[in-house]
Parts: sequence; structure tokens; C-alpha cells
Amino acid sequence: MKIPKHILPFAFIGPAMLFLAAMLLWPLAQAIILSLQSVRSVGTTGDWVGLSNYREVLIDPVFWGSAWLSLIWVLANAVLQTLLALVAALALNQSFPGVRIARTWIVLTWIVPTVVVVMIWRWLFSTSGGIVNPLLMLSGVTDAPVGFFANPTIAFATLVFINSWRWFPFITLMMLAGLTRIPRDLYEAASIDGAGPWKRFSRITWPLLAPTLGVLLVIGTLLSFNVFDIIWLLTAGGPADSTRTLPVLIYETAFKSYRMSEAAAVAVLATVFLMGFALLATRWLARPPEAR
Amino acid sequence: MTGSPKRYLLLTGAALLAVLPLGAAAQVDLTLWHMEQPPHRVERVQILLDEFNASHPEITVSQEPQNWGEIYAKAPAALAAGVGPDMLFAIPDFTPILLGIGALTSVEDFVTELDAEHNFNPSAVEAYSYDEGVWAVPLYNMSMNLWYRPSVLSAAGIDVPQTWDEWKAAAETLTGDGMYGMGLPANQQLYTDQTIYSVMANGGASEIYNADGTLNFDNPHTVEAYSFYNDMLAFSPPDAASWTWGEAEACFAANSCAMVMQFSVISTYDTQAEGNAEDLGVVAIPSRDGDTSNTIAYTNAVMLLSQDEERMEASKTFVRWLLEPENYGRFLNMEPGLFMPVTADGAEAESFWSDPMVDKYRSQIETVIENSQNGMLFGFTSGRVFPAISAISAQNVLAETLQSIAIRGEDVATAVTDGQARMQDLTE
Amino acid sequence: MKRTLRWNLALLAVLVSLATLILLPFWFVLTGSIKEPAEIIGREPTMFPQSFTLQHYAKLISASDYPVYMMNSMIVATASTVITLLLAIPAGYAFFRMSFAGRETLYRAILLAYAFPSIVILIPLFGIFAKLGLLDSRLALVLVNVAFALPFAIWMLRSFFASIPIEIEEAARLDGGAPLTVLRRIMIPLVAPGIAAVAVFTFITSWTEYVFASVMILSDAKRPMPVGFSGIIGQYQIDWGLLLAGASLSLLPVVILFAFVGRWFVAGLTEGAVK
Repeated sequence: MKIPKHILPFAFIGPAMLFLAAMLLWPLAQAIILSLQSVRSVGTTGDWVGLSNYREVLIDPVFWGSAWLSLIWVLANAVLQTLLALVAALALNQSFPGVRIARTWIVLTWIVPTVVVVMIWRWLFSTSGGIVNPLLMLSGVTDAPVGFFANPTIAFATLVFINSWRWFPFITLMMLAGLTRIPRDLYEAASIDGAGPWKRFSRITWPLLAPTLGVLLVIGTLLSFNVFDIIWLLTAGGPADSTRTLPVLIYETAFKSYRMSEAAAVAVLATVFLMGFALLATRWLARPPEAR
Repeated sequence: MTGSPKRYLLLTGAALLAVLPLGAAAQVDLTLWHMEQPPHRVERVQILLDEFNASHPEITVSQEPQNWGEIYAKAPAALAAGVGPDMLFAIPDFTPILLGIGALTSVEDFVTELDAEHNFNPSAVEAYSYDEGVWAVPLYNMSMNLWYRPSVLSAAGIDVPQTWDEWKAAAETLTGDGMYGMGLPANQQLYTDQTIYSVMANGGASEIYNADGTLNFDNPHTVEAYSFYNDMLAFSPPDAASWTWGEAEACFAANSCAMVMQFSVISTYDTQAEGNAEDLGVVAIPSRDGDTSNTIAYTNAVMLLSQDEERMEASKTFVRWLLEPENYGRFLNMEPGLFMPVTADGAEAESFWSDPMVDKYRSQIETVIENSQNGMLFGFTSGRVFPAISAISAQNVLAETLQSIAIRGEDVATAVTDGQARMQDLTE
Repeated sequence: MKRTLRWNLALLAVLVSLATLILLPFWFVLTGSIKEPAEIIGREPTMFPQSFTLQHYAKLISASDYPVYMMNSMIVATASTVITLLLAIPAGYAFFRMSFAGRETLYRAILLAYAFPSIVILIPLFGIFAKLGLLDSRLALVLVNVAFALPFAIWMLRSFFASIPIEIEEAARLDGGAPLTVLRRIMIPLVAPGIAAVAVFTFITSWTEYVFASVMILSDAKRPMPVGFSGIIGQYQIDWGLLLAGASLSLLPVVILFAFVGRWFVAGLTEGAVK
């Protein structure tokens, strides 16, 4: 079958684009409409109230509290995951016996379903047979068991840890991809010139890896902002709302307070934040030509 | 098509139409949604369903176990979309939600009929009677009790506490050396709502509404109850702020918690701990001054949701069958020691007492049944229901208030006032 | 380039730490799943099992619908992967090779698909699916999974296509092929590792999806594994043994899958350029 040349591109991208428009744009539009009404419970209808939901949300300290938590969440995850991934990627970029196996199975924590990750850590951190507290006490770090989900700051940190544990291997692989593209001879030349490991890292690795890191940070931010199930299943936003990030607030407002329209308004605002970030970030990334 | 085949087709069609209703009228397929997901409970329900389906060939009931965490969102959505179930188990604060979206019709006559036959606990029916109707049929009861090991208490030289002072003293004495005197949850979750209310109800703070429907949460009794609960938290493990029912039971089973408040620990105690019926004690939750003890009672019921007359009748047939003493006991024992009968003849049913686990822990279960006579539920006291109780329950405001105190260190009186403001907010 | 002893030790330390961080939790889960209940919740956890029982697995398989859940997850994940690839491969190629109005804008717009919380489409999507009669269907889950995987898949495939040396492609076109044929006969085999990587990514992402599945699926027969698993664990009591057995069992399919295709996944990601 011969497709006319000028239609060809659209035949290729058409199905995918239409699919995304139907599955993502259309519901998004519906959500915006929902946010301009006063719908309470799922399945009921509400009147048009224009922007009043937005007005209410924007003056609500609960909303800004959640936005703040989301910001911290994203930053903390970015830092922890980037650090872990960088160390792991640098290590896996070396050659040693078993490197192939290590590279394959580093992603073990990522291929496990989130629910299972949640259950595993819920047990490990608990006082009913969990291993973390005894280990901490044995090594002298603490002398009494810690409630890992009982204290606001600790709970937040614990969630960041669990989420990072789950995601960092994936980031590691992406970073490894960037690392393997750096030509070996650059390192050879440098070491012949007498550059030590640290110099090789800062002069060669870092600059050449930076673009990849940039892209990963942007993607990673978008992905970790959206994390819902890990938080919901472990703390449901608690204790005392200290882990109630924006996705959790949206779900809670919609399905526990029965305020659909309000939840939609929060969701649209969150979208605006994210889109703004994504646009700025991609523009910043596209700035200087990437060093190859 | 020419004449002959056409006429033949028409005749066949007419003949089929005449025959079909005879076959079709009989079969009714019903779906039952319930939140008893643990595999052994699902299994027991299936056994009963198979028996019912076999003895009632024109009706087929099938079950879909659901999750309490999702059902608040899912059920209204499914009903609105026309894919809801015919029967749905409920707890009292879940029913107003469905009433609110117009999914319920009053089953007052049906309940009266069943009451005449089986004699319901009045409080069980009360929890579903308001707004000029009865909106569900009571099925089983759960109430909070205080569980302990007599050996642990006697080793420490203390008697079973009956007042709040005794309770606190006992908890303090029992704490130490890897053991926690009183395992109490502090999570923003239903279990914490239940334990707090059990304490409140025993301290004169059982009514969170006045008779005229205004909020009465913020009062000195409530403040005292929260203060007491907060003090008792000192004797709980550090991770209590993330506890649901399972963690409390695990703590008790591992003998790391000397006392816990729970509907029942029998099953866990029997399968995961010593299982020594002689060393499992249960007592009513201590009241502040030692007089009548109250507790929180969750009468679970079944809501009949079919809009279609025929399906509604079929559902009623099923419920009638279920409450027959020879079936009812086996239904309750899908989790032995947890589900209590709501009917008088159920409480004496042989099918209930003949279960091996129930028999083994007979004295404990008898105590539990006795305690549950004094059961009540916030928002459903005094024969009325408060409109926003579902949202208040869904949002776990009682537990939320506790967290302000226990985790954020807020002053108790302020926290309770804020809690009432929160409830007021949800009412609008 | 040799490493000094110091660096060798450092590397070893890092590798051992990584291995511990990743493997130790799984060790406890696996060994826990065969311990007696009392040992699992005991006050002093044990590194090596002191008891042995298969009761948790028995209960899991016989008394619950776990096998059904697994099957549903397999079906949904496989279908999602196939459909994603069918849509993403032509699109990725077109974005790279073909020029048309609005190409760059459209491409960037795709990635913005990740710039809104997936929760926001949960509510409207439920309503839309309800009207279309798609509630409680595995198809609904497939549609959702594809929607979430597609942008990333297109993005990844475009970079893989971009990494193919231009000469090979030019040669194929000169040999007189319509773009579709060039794509099918030449390009796809060349990016096979990339396709494998995208396939594994989509499969894993679909396998793990929880939120949409928990709301859209109403009946047990259609339930995928993550939702079914969290349901079995129980609300009023936690059967830790059952939980650990379920967790261990849920690892099995993905570990087996990865044992076969893991190499391709990693190779695809690391050797195909990430631009």
C-alpha cells in the first residue's frame, strides 16, 4: 500500500498522538471543567461556580503546605537518588569479574511492584519482627526502637529512602548509559598525562556526563512528584499530615472529603506548577550545545 | 429472501420468544460486595453461597471481596455508573453516603419481619434507623474489648484494671524490659478512631452531638479522655503512630504488649502465639470511675441496592436464608471470635457454638457478647444520625485530633477545639 | 588502565554496600516466608531461619485467588507492551527521521505528558470508562498503562533510532524502499536492543500499576496482582507470613523474565544512546 509522501509522517505519528490525546488531554480537559463546578461526591453533578474553587484553594494554607511538602519531596529524592545512582554508575562503569551480572541485577528493586516494596519495608521497619530496629540497636546507633512512621520528620525521611531505594537503580542505568559513551581513550590520554582519578573525574567525566544528568534530573523530578502509592500505602499522608504531598492531598480531597471539584482544582494547579517547571527546565537544558 | 424461508424464520422467532421467558424468568444473578478479604473468610462465604445457590436454583449469588480503603470511593462511583452490586456490606457510617446519592430504599418492613423471627439487638437496628427509614439489615457485630494475658498480670502482681487510674497504673507497672504495658494506636486511621472513641465513651464523652444536631465534641469530658489516652501512649511502642489493627495484634501475639484494645485477638493468638485458652483474658474497657462500662460497637449490616423488584426479592431471600440459625453461625465463624451475633437466636445457635475455635475460647466469647450489649457508635447515638458523620469518619477526625496532641505536641484543649472546628467544616 | 589497591578496595566497598542495600531486604523476605509465624513476629529477628514451614505458600495458593491475579497481571502487562510498541516505534522513527510542520513542538509536548499528576485524570477517566462500559475490564487497564508508557517509549525509541549510523539508513533508502519498508526491514532489527529495552520498561511499569487498577477493577476475577495482593493481606489482622509469601511469589515472574531479557534491557539502555 502506498501512502502519499506528505501524509506519511502523520500516518506514523498519528495513532500514537490520537491515543495520547484521547487518554490524557481529554480527561485533563474534563478535570478542568470539573474544577469549575461544585461537584462533591463521585457520580453527582454540581453547578457552575467559575473560579471560586481556585480562589478557595489558593488561600488555603493546607494547599500551600502540601505544595511545600511536594517541593521538599522532589528535592530530597533528587539528591538521594542522584548521589546513589552516581556512585553506583561509576562503580558499574569499571571492569571487574561479574560486572555484567551486576549491571543486569542492579535494577532488582525497580522491577518489583510498588505494593510489594511497600509491604517489605512496612515489615522491616516495624517492631513486629522487623530487622531495622534490632540492627540499629545492635550497632549502637539508638538504644530504643524507633517508630519510623511515627514521627513527622523521620516518616518523611523514611519515605524518601524507600522511594529512592526503589528508583535509584533505574537512574543508575541511565547514568551508566551516559558514562559508557565517554570514549575510553580520553581517560587513557589523561592518565598518561599523569592525571589522577579525581582529576579524570572532574575534567572528563563530570563535564561529559552533565547533560545526561540534567535530563535525568528533569525526568526524575517529574516522576517523583507523581509518586502516590508508596506514600499512600505507608502513611496515607500522615503522621499528622506531615507527608501529605500534593498527589495525596488530591486523592484525599476527592475520595475522603468527597469534594471532587476542589480536588480537581488542586490537581490543575499542580499541573500548572509542573508544566511550568518542565518548560523552564527543557529550555535551560537545550541552551548550550551538548559536548559529545 | 423469498416468502417461504421468511415465514419460517418469523415463526421460529415467535416460537422462541414464547419459550424464552419461561426459561429466563427464573434465573436471577446477584452480586454481593463485602470487605472481608482474608482468604479464609472468602472461602467460608463461598461455601455458604454454594449451598444457597444449590438449594435455590433460580438465584445465583456471587461474591466480590473489596478493600475498605477503596470502597468509599469505589461504591458510589460504581453505582453512579450502573455497575454496582445488588448487596453491599456496610458499617453505620458508610450507609449515609449511599443514602446521600439515592442508592438506598428503606427496608423497614423487611427488618421488622426478620426481627419478629430472630429478635435483633435493638442497638443493631438503631444504627441504621434514621430519616424515616431503615437502610440496611444488621448482620454481625464487633465491639472493642481489652485483651491481656492473666499470667503476665499476675506475675506483676496486678489485678485486672477497672478504672482509668488502675488502668494507667497497670500499664506503667507492666512496661519495661522489652514489654509495653498498653499497646495503643496513634495513626490517622479507623482503628485509632475506634480506640479513642472507646475511651471517650467510657469517660462521659460518648455523645459528639447534641439532641438538636449541633456539635458537642468540644467539652471537658472529651478533653479529659484525650488527655488520658495521650498519657497512656507513653506505654506503647514507638511505632504506634503507624499502627493498624494488625500491628497491635502482632504486638500482643509476640507478648511485647501486655494489653491491647481490639475487637478480637483470638484468631491471631491461636495461630501465631501460644494458643492457650487458659491464658487469654478479656474484659470490658475500663470506665473512668469504674461504673458501667461502654464500648464502641460496629454493627455490620447488608445494604440491598437493587432497583429492580425481582432482584430485590431475590436478595431478601438470600438474607432470610443467611439469618437462619443453622446457617448464621457458620457465617459468623468465617472469623471465629471476631463476629458476634446480632440476633437472639443467633446467640444460641448450635452452628455458632459448635465451631472448634469458638468452643475452645467459649468463655472469652461469652464475655465479648456480654460487653457488646453496651456498645455504641459516635454519630449514631440516641437514635439519630449526624449528617456529616461519614465525612468525619472517612477523614478520621477523631484520630487526627489525637495526632495533633501526640505528634505535634499541641495542647489538648486547643486540639479538641480545632477538632470540632474541623468537624464543623466537613458539615458544610 | 590499572587501578591502585586503594581504588580497588574502594570499589569493593561500594559494590558490597550496594549488594547489601539491595539484596538484604529480599533475603529477609524470602527466609521469612518459610518461617513459623511465631518466629516471624518474634522480638528478636533471626538472620537464618530457625524453623521451616510451607504453610504460608499453601494458604496463598489454595485459599486465595492469587493465581488469578498473577494471570491478569500477565495478560494486562503483555497486551500493554505490545500495543505500546506498535504505537511508539513508528512514532519514534517519524520524530527522528521525518520532517514535518510542528515536529519539535509536538515532540516536546509529548514529554509534557509527564508534567501533570496522574491522579488528575483518574476521576474523569473513571467517568469516561464508565460511560463506555469499560469499567471492570482488563482493557481499561491496558489503555491506562499504554498512555503512561507511551511518551517515554517514544522518547527512548527516537534516541535509539538516532544512534544508528546514518550511512546504513541512507543505503537502505537508496535501495529503493518505501519508508514503511525501510522501517520494517532495516531499522527495526537495528534497534532491536532498544525495542527490547522499551518492552521491558513498559512491561514492568504495567506490572506494578496500582492506583488505577484499584479503582477501575470491581471484581476479583479481573483484579491484577498488586491490588489483589494488598487485599489478601487483610485489614483487621496482618498475616505476616502470608504477606511475606505473597511478596516472595510476586517477585518470581519478574525475576524470571529478567533472567532472560535482562541483558537486553541493560544493553539496550547503555549501548543505545540516551540523548
